[in-house]
Amino acid sequence: MDTHHSHLFEVGGAKLARLEDLRLIKGEGCYAADWALPNQAHAAFLRSDRAHARILSVNTAAARKAKGVLAVLTGEDAVKAGYVKPLSMLTFAGKDGKKASIPERPVLAHGRVRFVGDLVAMVIAETALQAQDATELIEVDYQDLPAVVSPRATLEPGAPQLHDNVPGNLCFEQEAGDAAAVEAAFAKAAHVTKLRLDVTRVAPNPMEPRACAVAFDTASGKFTVHSPVQGINMMRMQLAAYTGVADDKIEVVARDVGGGFGQRSIGYPEYVALMLGAKTLGRPVKWVSSRSEGFLSDSHGRANYIDGELALDKDGTFLGMRIDWIADLGAYLHPAGPVSPMRNPVTCLNGVYKTQALYGRWRVALTNTAPVSAYRGAARPEIAFAIERLVDEAAAQMKIDPAEIRRRNFIPTDAFPYKTPTGSVYDIADFHGVLDKAMKLADVTGFPQRRAESEKRGMIRGLGFSTVIENSGAGMFPKDEIRLEVHADGNITAYSVSHSQGQGHETTFAQIIGDGLGIPAERIKLRQGIGEQGLIGNHTGGSRTIVGAGTVCHIAAKKLVEVATPLAAEQLGVEPSQVAYAGGEFKSTASNKKISLGELAAKKPLVVTGEGKFGSTFPNGCHVAEIEIDPKTGVTEVTSYVTVDDCGTVINHTIVEGQMHGAVAQGWGQIFGENIVYDETGQMLTGSFMDYTMPKAGWIKDITIAEHTTFGTISPLGVKGMGESGCTASLAALTNAMMNALRPLGVPPLDMPLTAHKVWQAITAAKKGK
Amino acid sequence: MAKITLTVNGEKRSADVEDRTLLVNFLRDELKLTGTHVGCDTSQCGACTVHVDGRAVKSCTMLAAQAEGCEVVTIEGLAKNGKLHPAQAAFTECHALQCGFCTPGMIMTTAALIKQHPQPTDEQIVHGLEGNLCRCTGYLNIVKAVKHAAELQKAK
Amino acid sequence: MYSFQYRKAKSLAEAGEVLAKDDEAKPLSGGMTLIPTLKQRLAQPTQLVDIAGLPELAGIDNKNGVLTIGAATRHADVATSKAVQDAIPALACLAAGIGDPQVRNRGTLGGSVANNDPAADYPAAVLALNAKVITTKREIAAADFFQGMFTTALEPGELIVKIAFPLPKAAAYCKFPHPASGYAMAGVFIAQTGDGVRVAVTGAGASGVFRWAEAEQALAKGISAAAIEKLTLAADDINEDIHGTREYRAQLVKVVATRAAAALSGKK
Repeated sequence: MDTHHSHLFEVGGAKLARLEDLRLIKGEGCYAADWALPNQAHAAFLRSDRAHARILSVNTAAARKAKGVLAVLTGEDAVKAGYVKPLSMLTFAGKDGKKASIPERPVLAHGRVRFVGDLVAMVIAETALQAQDATELIEVDYQDLPAVVSPRATLEPGAPQLHDNVPGNLCFEQEAGDAAAVEAAFAKAAHVTKLRLDVTRVAPNPMEPRACAVAFDTASGKFTVHSPVQGINMMRMQLAAYTGVADDKIEVVARDVGGGFGQRSIGYPEYVALMLGAKTLGRPVKWVSSRSEGFLSDSHGRANYIDGELALDKDGTFLGMRIDWIADLGAYLHPAGPVSPMRNPVTCLNGVYKTQALYGRWRVALTNTAPVSAYRGAARPEIAFAIERLVDEAAAQMKIDPAEIRRRNFIPTDAFPYKTPTGSVYDIADFHGVLDKAMKLADVTGFPQRRAESEKRGMIRGLGFSTVIENSGAGMFPKDEIRLEVHADGNITAYSVSHSQGQGHETTFAQIIGDGLGIPAERIKLRQGIGEQGLIGNHTGGSRTIVGAGTVCHIAAKKLVEVATPLAAEQLGVEPSQVAYAGGEFKSTASNKKISLGELAAKKPLVVTGEGKFGSTFPNGCHVAEIEIDPKTGVTEVTSYVTVDDCGTVINHTIVEGQMHGAVAQGWGQIFGENIVYDETGQMLTGSFMDYTMPKAGWIKDITIAEHTTFGTISPLGVKGMGESGCTASLAALTNAMMNALRPLGVPPLDMPLTAHKVWQAITAAKKGK
Repeated sequence: MAKITLTVNGEKRSADVEDRTLLVNFLRDELKLTGTHVGCDTSQCGACTVHVDGRAVKSCTMLAAQAEGCEVVTIEGLAKNGKLHPAQAAFTECHALQCGFCTPGMIMTTAALIKQHPQPTDEQIVHGLEGNLCRCTGYLNIVKAVKHAAELQKAK
Repeated sequence: MYSFQYRKAKSLAEAGEVLAKDDEAKPLSGGMTLIPTLKQRLAQPTQLVDIAGLPELAGIDNKNGVLTIGAATRHADVATSKAVQDAIPALACLAAGIGDPQVRNRGTLGGSVANNDPAADYPAAVLALNAKVITTKREIAAADFFQGMFTTALEPGELIVKIAFPLPKAAAYCKFPHPASGYAMAGVFIAQTGDGVRVAVTGAGASGVFRWAEAEQALAKGISAAAIEKLTLAADDINEDIHGTREYRAQLVKVVATRAAAALSGKK
């Protein structure tokens, strides 16, 4: 395999307008709610209005008689169909070799509801409004049960129990690292820093609400499911597992996907219920979620509740770190939900440091809340947050410069490949280089002057940063495939499983293929979500796409030339060795004759499938945040934000910058406002954009983005992936900046989100305490 | 049922709709103009923004019947004679869209904004985008695009 | 949304009649609060009587020291009206800050005032400016009009026709919007009138808009930020929810009042 540290991409790369844009700016995209299937009926769901209750009876008689109603399905129907157990990817053994206890989840609740928003019944009617009207005619007799929403309380003895097969609401427990070594490290420590590091529950909130339209063909027994996806295979696998329907009897169809962030990677019970509805009715059935339903029932993110301790010697060398981690998964397990917090933190448990003694305990807890799954970063931001907060607090407590303490503990640049204590191999990085560049760009030396200037205006200024690393996802499918089909006009259609939810695959993939073939990217049209191609491949997630499918684009392009060369030779009447390829054309070196890819394809179909399998890469970076707080209101302004990232080769700088903007904004959102709050009874208090603070225009004024590249060794392109790194670095960088500002006032470490209200209260309390 | 007649993207359209039909549902379901999106149900996100009699409004918070006799322009009607509106061109040139779902609403809002403020300040832009949410871009390139759209409009 | 009958009123009289006859009918103006409420199925009116286009509710008029604005005037039109900008710039400024551009293009003065949302902006102006609410039946003084959260003196079938704002010597409005909803967590309108300084607070009161007597007294001796900075607003009657404690909202009232006073005194 050739190694291709190309800078070619930069030629067209940075300037190329995205190839997917034209239809999207003209309103010609096709999102899930835009499907209109012939003769489709419409579904609406009756959801539980309480967090925990026994269902004594469900009376659907009046709803069935309502205008336009075609069918009403309940938990009885779900159980009868056997649609009761979602796939779980939590299949590995935990502590003492014990496997996870996986709760059942009938796609419509049966016997018990376990969170506000749990599905109780589905009404199908001629119109969506009729279906919604009829849900109100369903009478449910509940017997309320005590609910538990706190992830720590739910593991206490005597807590209300959610599932009979999950004693103590504990699904799974695992340990990693070396407990004895950590014990020894703490015993000899000169200093120990201990922090609570909760990373609160947020709503991914892609702007496109969920929607799904399912058709069932009675003759073939085949379902066609139109839904937003991150990759059709992942969706089909889950729907097949939930229903017991064979893989090849489910076709998943998706075109444009309006944002994902992990929320699209789930075969939701609503989709499965629609399959049941379409089959029962013999008509296509469509459902479009409202945002209010989405808040209650879309997967939530983060919700990891962490206690951490760092042991240091007198010089600030990290001797050991210990964490105790509770992952709140909500009332049921989404298929991959618990896997991210069990896997990703272990992979990068040492962060960017050479800390040798590491130990952690992880517990998967259930609560009477909406189920949780991956959200941009999927526990990578959480472990980075935990480490970087501990490091920063330790530096402050020991009065060591926070950059200096990091430098003392970085894995040295000449130590790669570096095997970590938990068994990962970081292939290549330059943490010192990344940090130095970031410190310079953020003008850290000028900070004291800026702080003094703020103080003069009655404002409180802080600067903080994080140096983080993360593992890109290795993927759960055995390989990634990309198919290239050459057309007679010389244009090429590329097929991919990995599905863009905004990342711009149509552009970057075309760039890579175009680069491999020496033809303009505009001549390559990427098609995603085409089930009939039967490709194997991973969904887009875990920052893996450029490493997996992206690299395979390169491989497929090379393969195309390889496969087409003998065909061209035949046409040119020469030996393959006498054929040279360049710029879409094969030329005979023996004569002046030539034939183009398109001309070849006109004679005989020219289709190749490239494949490859690539493990985790380790993108890393340093983000520096500078903030200013108005103590009168607690309002914080981020006055400067600098990112220096090493994501390996950059295919398209504009897209990489855009990803960074978006991810940092999501981190910003989580630190300063976003938070899903349930009251004690399990009612959601932040169930709309009126109460849940989404970042808005102008809140982040500017982000300075720089690269510090070491070429990754996993992919021949040298790429490492980068979609999530903005989240991974920003949670800690922003919090460290806030604590840098607040610490001198005597404010103790604060839990996110650092809303104006909370900051004002903390400042006020600190003033009173003095 | 209400019989409504209105002009949409320059064409007179009539239909019998339920009284409770929202303008956005009329556009999407009756006229199949699915470029106008619905991103929330509390009038916050602005994905459904269209122009009614020249003003940007949220079509999810207006009954179709209220638009009786009005001139409605949707994202599909913004480009004229195959030429992109400056707001459309600016959004792609500035990489102001990722997933594209909020984009039609953002562009319709931008088109109204630069009509009102031909040379908008940063403050006017940010204030003008208060009714539109985006989850992908962090808004930095959107703000740039609005400014760029104003320049393109001026150059026209 | 539940089913209802939509009816475009041909005259104010007809609208009044329909509403008086049918308790479950509701007037529809801009619909910026009503339609979202209907979408959440939190209300089930029989009829919506659309009054937005009625000529009786239109017009902005400044004469004899009173600025009169028709109830169906949209926020955007108040904000950009030369007449309003000349007469009471603070009112134009308030209107320019309501919700967002799309909301301002539909929402109306009358709709907002009749709804009396405790976090709406207009009630602060109406109360501080000692405006008169002119309805289909009578004239109601601002002090009598607002009767607690979402409650007003309006009787069934009674509609706001226009609101008459006596011109102040000077006025200023400042608010602290909730970051998600954009509604005021605290909004303060200060008006210097012939009868002294009036300070109205919205967004924070447990029973809606109210006058802040201590601030009025403090400012009577001269408008300055310093005069407000010395005060503490008692938190007892302040609203509290997940977005802010009483104490925080009381603090925000003080902050925005200070800013409004600073703007009025010409000093930032």
